[in-house]
Amino acid sequence: MVIDPDTDLVARAGHGDRAAAQALMARHLPTMLALARRMLAGQAEAEDCVQEAFLKVWTHAARWKPGKAKFETWLYRVTLNQCYDRLRKKPAEPLEAAANVPDGADGPDRGLETAALEAQVSAALAELPERQRAAILLCHYQERGNIEAAEILGISVEALESLLARGRRTLRMKLSHLRDGAM
Amino acid sequence: MGENERMDDAGFTHEILKALPAVTIPAALEARILGDFDRLGMRPGKLAGMLARIGERLWPGVPVWQPASVLAVSLVMGLTAGAFLPSPGSVTPASDLVVVAALDNTLDIDLDRDQ
Repeated sequence: MVIDPDTDLVARAGHGDRAAAQALMARHLPTMLALARRMLAGQAEAEDCVQEAFLKVWTHAARWKPGKAKFETWLYRVTLNQCYDRLRKKPAEPLEAAANVPDGADGPDRGLETAALEAQVSAALAELPERQRAAILLCHYQERGNIEAAEILGISVEALESLLARGRRTLRMKLSHLRDGAM
Repeated sequence: MGENERMDDAGFTHEILKALPAVTIPAALEARILGDFDRLGMRPGKLAGMLARIGERLWPGVPVWQPASVLAVSLVMGLTAGAFLPSPGSVTPASDLVVVAALDNTLDIDLDRDQ
């Protein structure tokens, strides 16, 4: 039996409890949006993707049966599927991140550095095949364990490790000039 | 690829992704998501909520009034067509009479008339 911290909130949201829905959203929205933002080219698209994932939560919450899989695993799988759908409909625009220059709270130079780093990393990520990108983001950006990431992706741990190895290699080759620079 | 190289790749990837700025969550997005929750009327047993969920399955991502309007317009068009247009299989009594009269007439051909 899987111990799922979301079970109670999902059940309450399914029975119309708005506070439970709000709590569920507060718990998962930041990581879901961050994942979608790094998977996709733009902020607006990532927001639409996350909104659609929550729409699925609201429509399925009343029928959610705990025990089979963790709610979070299902939720992130739904989010990634939304991302894949969008990636297949529309080609990536990796340079949009360059337009999202931070507000300069750490000083203008630091803000520009961060924006440049984000643009380069986003461009390199966008060139990875979508499964490699998802694997890299789940394990290195969101720091999930291999077993959990493999469950979200619906693959074996060995397959995940293979995706990770290829993705890391490509990223390092493309971004090695950043090692002593912006980081 | 050696084990050391794999570890270097993993360390590099981790470091570079951790250096990315945090993604900000717009308040408008939270409002949109909760708006969806309210729109779906997540109250089991309530007719509006049930209809909203059925509408969401048939036509995802649009307000309930849109599929409802399309359904209503289709219904009105169907009823209007049913009430005012004749059905294609129907034959008027007058056309029946013409056919019967034509068949009842005996053929009166005089072969010598043209000679």
